Amino acid sequence: MSVRPGDPSVRRVPPSWAPPRTPPTPDAAPFPLGTALAFLRRVRSGVESGSDPAAALAAAVGGLPADAQAGIDRAVHRLAGDYTEDDWGFDEEFAEAVFPLLEFMYERWWRVQVDGVVHVPSHGPALMVANHAGIVPWDGIMMGTAVLKEHPLPRYPRFLVLNWAFNLPYVSFMLRKVGGVVASPYNAMRLLEQGELVGVFPEGVKGAGKDFKDRYRLQRFGRGGFVEIALRTRAPIVPVAVVGSEEIHPKIGESALLARATGAPYFPITPTFPLLGPLGLVPLPSRWRIEFCEPIPTEEYGPEAAEDRGLLFELSERVRDVIQDKLYENLVKRGRAFA
Amino acid sequence: MAGRRVLITGVGSYLGTELARRLERDPEIEYVAGLDTRPPRVKLEQTDFLEADLRNPVITKLLPQAEVDTVVHNQIVRRPGPGMSPQAMHDINVIGSLQLLGACERSPTVRTIVIRGSAGIYGSEPQAPQFFTEEMARLYPLRTRFQRDVGEIENYFETYSRRHPQVTCMMLRYQPAIGPGTDSQVTRYLGLPVVPTYLGFDPRLQFIHVSDGLDALVASIKNPLRGAVNVAAPGTIGLTKMIRLAGKASLPIPSPFFPAAATLGRRVGAFSSLSPDFRRLLRYGRAVDTTRLVEEVGFRPRYDAVAAVEDYIRTQSGKRIVPTFRDLVGVS
Repeated sequence: MSVRPGDPSVRRVPPSWAPPRTPPTPDAAPFPLGTALAFLRRVRSGVESGSDPAAALAAAVGGLPADAQAGIDRAVHRLAGDYTEDDWGFDEEFAEAVFPLLEFMYERWWRVQVDGVVHVPSHGPALMVANHAGIVPWDGIMMGTAVLKEHPLPRYPRFLVLNWAFNLPYVSFMLRKVGGVVASPYNAMRLLEQGELVGVFPEGVKGAGKDFKDRYRLQRFGRGGFVEIALRTRAPIVPVAVVGSEEIHPKIGESALLARATGAPYFPITPTFPLLGPLGLVPLPSRWRIEFCEPIPTEEYGPEAAEDRGLLFELSERVRDVIQDKLYENLVKRGRAFA
Repeated sequence: MAGRRVLITGVGSYLGTELARRLERDPEIEYVAGLDTRPPRVKLEQTDFLEADLRNPVITKLLPQAEVDTVVHNQIVRRPGPGMSPQAMHDINVIGSLQLLGACERSPTVRTIVIRGSAGIYGSEPQAPQFFTEEMARLYPLRTRFQRDVGEIENYFETYSRRHPQVTCMMLRYQPAIGPGTDSQVTRYLGLPVVPTYLGFDPRLQFIHVSDGLDALVASIKNPLRGAVNVAAPGTIGLTKMIRLAGKASLPIPSPFFPAAATLGRRVGAFSSLSPDFRRLLRYGRAVDTTRLVEEVGFRPRYDAVAAVEDYIRTQSGKRIVPTFRDLVGVS
C-alpha cells in the first residue's frame, strides 16, 4: 500500500481505551495588547490622582484579568526564591511555563505526527533510545512533548544531553530545568533507579555532527553502555525513530578552527549558520514523524547479564536495527521534508 | 570500647572547639587533647590544650606522650585567613598533615585516624555526574592549588593506611559548611551586598549544615570506617534560588571577565577573595552522594540542602536593616 504524505490513514490512532481527545482549542489570543494598554492607563490615572506609584501599580494589578494576576503572583513568588527544583535541577513549574512554546514548535513548526506513544510505560523506569542530530537536543525535547501531549498517562521524561551543552551560558540551566541531564552512565543509572523515564542518544557526538548527506544513517552505538545500564536497572528499552530532526540544521561542512576557538566538539556550517548569525540557529520547519516502537524487556536477563559483552553488543545491535528500519519506514510515510 | 582517648588538631577553629566540648561530655571518652597554635574559642574545662604548630617537628614528640588511640585531623585550611599567604596555607595543609601522620607512626597507641578533608577533590566540572560517589575521586584533573593539596593529603593517607593495616584510616570529604556561627567562603559570599554570578549559569550546589557537620564528625569517631566517606546535606539547591532566598541582588558577569572582576572586587575591598575553587563552584557546582554516610556510618543529616541554606538565612535576617524583596511581597 502506498501512502501519500498527508493521507489521513497514517495519522496516529489512539487506543480504544484512551480518553477521547478534546479537539484543539482555537488559537490562543495574540499578545493581549488591549489589556496591557488598559493596565498602563490605570497606572497613569492612579498616579495623576495623587496616590504614590507603588499603590497605583497595586491598584492597577487588581484590575487585571484573573489569569494575568495569577501569572504575576507566580512570577513574584519565583523572584523571591519560592520555587522548587529537584536534585537534578528539574523545575516543573518552569517546564509548564515553556510548554506552550514547545507545543507551538510541535504543532505548527514541525507538525509532528506520532505513532505508538502507548509503548512508553506509564510508570516505572524505562529507557527511550533514539537517533540524534544537532547540538541543541530538539529531538529529545519533541519526544518529551509527544509523551506529554499524546500519552494517556503523561509523564515528564528526562534526557541525557551532550556534555558540551552544559558549558554554554543559559543553555546549561534551561536544559536542566526542563529535564536535561549531563550524559553520564552514573546519571542514567541513578535516574532509572529513581524510576524515571530517560531518553538517550547512543550515537552521541557522532550523531550530532552528522553531515546532511548522511542523515538518517545511524552511526555506531558507542560501546553499548545504554544496554548495560538498562540491564542493571532492569528497565525496558523503548526504541524511538525520529524523522525530521535531521533536516532542521542541514550541516554541509564544519570548521575545525572555529571549533577549537569555541571549545565545541565540532563547529557546524549550515546554509544559514554562521552566515545569518544567531538567526541561523532557528531550526528549519521540516515535517516530523516520531515512532515509539515496542519495548524490549530486559528483566529476563537479570542484572548479572550486564557483564556479558556479547549480549550487550547483540542487544545494542538489535535496538539499532529496529530504529534504522523504522526510520526508513517513516521517511517513506512522511514524504518530502519541506512540502 | 570504654575510655577512649582523642586528640583533635585545629581545636582553635569553630568546629574544633565544638567537637572538644561534645567529646568532653561524652561518657565513652576518657581524655581529650586539643592541638593548635590558637587557643580554643571558649574555655574548655577538661581538654588538654597542646600549643604547637603542625608544621613543627615537635609534634612527633608531643603526640606519643599523649597516648591517644584516636586522632581527629581538623586542620585543613579551606580559605586563607587574614594575613595568611597561599604558601602558608599549602604548608599547613600538606606539610602539617604529613608531620601528623609521621607522629602517628611513632605512636603505637593510635588505632583510628579521622581526617576532615574536602569534597573539593572531586572538582567542579560541566560534564561531571550529578552526584559524586566516593570512588570517583580522580575522575578529572586536579585544577586548583587547594585541590592538589587535598589530593596530596589523600595520597599520603592512603599510603599510610596500606602500611598500617591495624589503624582505621577514615577520610571524610566535606562539602562547604553553612549555618549560623560559621565563617566560610559561602557565608562571606552571601554576605556581600551584591553577589557576583556567572552570566547564564545556575549551578547545583550542596552544603553541609554546621551542626550536621559536627554530628557527622562525632558519628565517625564513634563508628570509624576504612576509606573515604562523603559528608553533605542530601539533595541540591540552585545558586539562583539560594540568592533569591537570601534576598540578595546578583550581578551576572560574563565568564571571560569573571576572574578580572573578582580581582577588581578584591582590590577595591568589596570582598576579600573568591578562590579559584569557589569560582568554579559558582560556575559548575558540585554535589556528592551520601549513601555511605547514611548507611554505613549510620548518620543522617537533619538539614537537607535547601533547609541548611534556609536555616542560615533565617539567622541572618535579624541583622538586616533594609527589608528584602521577600519581606516586601510577604513570602514566608
